[in-house]
Amino acid sequence: MSFALNGVGLTHANGFVALDGITLQADQGEHIALIGPSGAGKTSLISLLGTALAPSSGQVSILDFGQNTASTAALKRLRARIGTVHQAPPIPGRQRVITAVLAGRLGQWPVWKSLASLFYPLDIPGAREALARLDLADKIFQRCDQLSGGQLQRVGIARVLYQQADLILADEPVSALDPVLAQSSLQRLIDDAASRGATLVASLHAVDLALNSFPRIVGIKAGRIAFDLPASSVSEAMLHELYASEGQILPTQSNEACFTPQAASTPPLRSACT
Amino acid sequence: MHLKPAERDPASQPRFYSALLALFILWPLFQAAEVSPGALFDPSNLKVIGSFLSGFLPPERGSEFLGYLGKATLETLAIATAGMALAGLLALPLAYLASAAGREKPTLNPLIRSLLTILRGVPELVWALVFVRVFGLGPAAGVLALGLTYGGMLAKVYAEILESVDAAPARALRLNGASRPLAILYGVIPQVSKELASYTVYRWECAVRASVVMGFVGAGGLGQLMDQAMKMFNGGEAASILITFLLLVFVADLISSGLRRSLDQAPPPSAAPFGPGSTGLLAIFVGAVTTSFWFLDIGFSALFTLESASSINQFIGSFFPPDLSAAWLSKVAQGVWETLAISAVGTLFAAVAGLLLAQARPRLLFNFLFNALRSVPELVWATITALSVGLGPFAGVLALALHTTGVLGRLYAEALDNAPAAPGRALRLSGVPSGLAFLYGTLPGAAPQLIAYTLYRWEMNIRMAAILGFVGAGGLGQLLYFELSLFHYAQASTVIIAMLLLSIAVDQTSAWLRRRMA
Repeated sequence: MSFALNGVGLTHANGFVALDGITLQADQGEHIALIGPSGAGKTSLISLLGTALAPSSGQVSILDFGQNTASTAALKRLRARIGTVHQAPPIPGRQRVITAVLAGRLGQWPVWKSLASLFYPLDIPGAREALARLDLADKIFQRCDQLSGGQLQRVGIARVLYQQADLILADEPVSALDPVLAQSSLQRLIDDAASRGATLVASLHAVDLALNSFPRIVGIKAGRIAFDLPASSVSEAMLHELYASEGQILPTQSNEACFTPQAASTPPLRSACT
Repeated sequence: MHLKPAERDPASQPRFYSALLALFILWPLFQAAEVSPGALFDPSNLKVIGSFLSGFLPPERGSEFLGYLGKATLETLAIATAGMALAGLLALPLAYLASAAGREKPTLNPLIRSLLTILRGVPELVWALVFVRVFGLGPAAGVLALGLTYGGMLAKVYAEILESVDAAPARALRLNGASRPLAILYGVIPQVSKELASYTVYRWECAVRASVVMGFVGAGGLGQLMDQAMKMFNGGEAASILITFLLLVFVADLISSGLRRSLDQAPPPSAAPFGPGSTGLLAIFVGAVTTSFWFLDIGFSALFTLESASSINQFIGSFFPPDLSAAWLSKVAQGVWETLAISAVGTLFAAVAGLLLAQARPRLLFNFLFNALRSVPELVWATITALSVGLGPFAGVLALALHTTGVLGRLYAEALDNAPAAPGRALRLSGVPSGLAFLYGTLPGAAPQLIAYTLYRWEMNIRMAAILGFVGAGGLGQLLYFELSLFHYAQASTVIIAMLLLSIAVDQTSAWLRRRMA
């Protein structure tokens, strides 16, 4: 069991109900895509899994760890095993790429090593290997404010690859990348999780990307789970129902003519774009 | 008025009453500040200041005196550097504790915050005055005073800088299991390192100025030399010291802006995060601090013996309880009022003079004048004005006015340059004399900026007016100086508390005003 949510609700301080009655389980090594219109609660769900937010109701258990009875030290150990790719990479502009990547293991390294690494990076090969998987090895000693938005997002992914987490959470991890790069970067994340048997939960705005790359799809709408199905069982009608609030056109990777409501009915969704 | 209500300017009545109110407030302020322009031209005063100023030329150049001067200059620099090192040591842990940066819930630490308020609310000059009584005349008092006040100031600003930037990187690291110190080092420091270094260097520049001023209460360096020269009416020596001081401030300014500019360059891509430049700077920094402590030769070990601990204890104990008798409280209240009066009238004079001089041409000449006026600290001006109008609040008013004219003149000139030019030009093109074109066209555009600068300066002048009295320029400072000289520590304690409360009140009021105007 990688995580289990049982009847979890999340109500913000202003009374807004972000999540309501979520029951969701994943075995270790599963790959799950979260899809749904913006504001549906995908990010809230990922924050909950990442222990950034505590649930207002229900039970949460992550990596066999009951979050509600957490001690600080135990929570820190748990968190070191969770890696999160954020939509906007949380990396200081003046930090160098190497330091930003090595920061992925701050939760695992002894303090002296983390401190010393500020003066001289202590694992250059490791960081270079993670960056190389995302074609960024040549940027290793550059400053992050010299990178483009897409490059920075891939540095964020490299950090999580370097962290080698047991549970990888990704919140719109490839939103700043062009379709080809998005597909390949996401694939690196999936391959990494598969090779280490890590669980991967990714929220994706592009429906085709989710259907093509993930075996299990969870649709979220208005803070509730709309469906939780194998990718092969997700029908066109379900998707339109899910995205009803965003109009007739399903969100896909930009400029991809292969996925329009009219054309979609004949060829199966997931092979259309490959 | 025979005008029909519809034809009357609706603004006239509020304006009339505001003017009346202003007069009503200003009159007692002028009274309290003992403004008497006549004193400037009093024959006996003229004689004193005349002979003193005529002694300025030629400046003293005797080799023995120059030796003293050189040593005092080095001492001033060393006090500033050592004081800053102490302040930094104090500020780092306090800023860490006080700041909300890297915390998952943005909680502030009220205990540490109030400690910081107390540390920086008491002016360094007051600390110096008190420490001189514990450690004797010499640089130790100056270093400790700087360390405490600037420690509080640095800690507050560091904490705020840490909070001012994007919190997402540090939060993300915490979520990966990093502890708070590491999350700050990896997630916040890279964003703020330049700002922290820049502010620290700027503060060092201020510390150089402050350490000169602290010499006037016996804390060593150029100030102490200046104080001796003034007391002996030795104009030549005073002139040499003043020139040295101006040069020192100028050089400190150059070093400070040079260092801050060097922070802007991105390092070359290499495995080591520090280039040869920053390594060199670090070496210089460590060298400067070590040299300063060695040069000052402060027997810190002597400070921490049982004997001195008990004498310090006894000394501090004599400040408690503060004298809260009605008679003394009313005297202190009078001192607060006088301090406010000095600051208000001094700022008002400076605002008027600054506004007039800001438009004077040639600009280069007046910029030089402004720079000269503002590089002499208020306290040094006060020793000179006290000679020309006698001891008392009016000397303080003049000292504040002279220094502030330099500051405000410069700021006003910039604000007027940046004000929209079109309205004034249009008026001039339609034949309006330039003075009127200024009043009708340029001033309205720049007014909010000018008012903001003036209020900001007034805020600083209130703090300054509280300590100008150490050289006899009235207000709370004079009260404190007398009581300390007479060993009336319980009374002195009340005055220090009043200064602290005044500083906090000014802080809160200006923060409130800024929030309202924003």
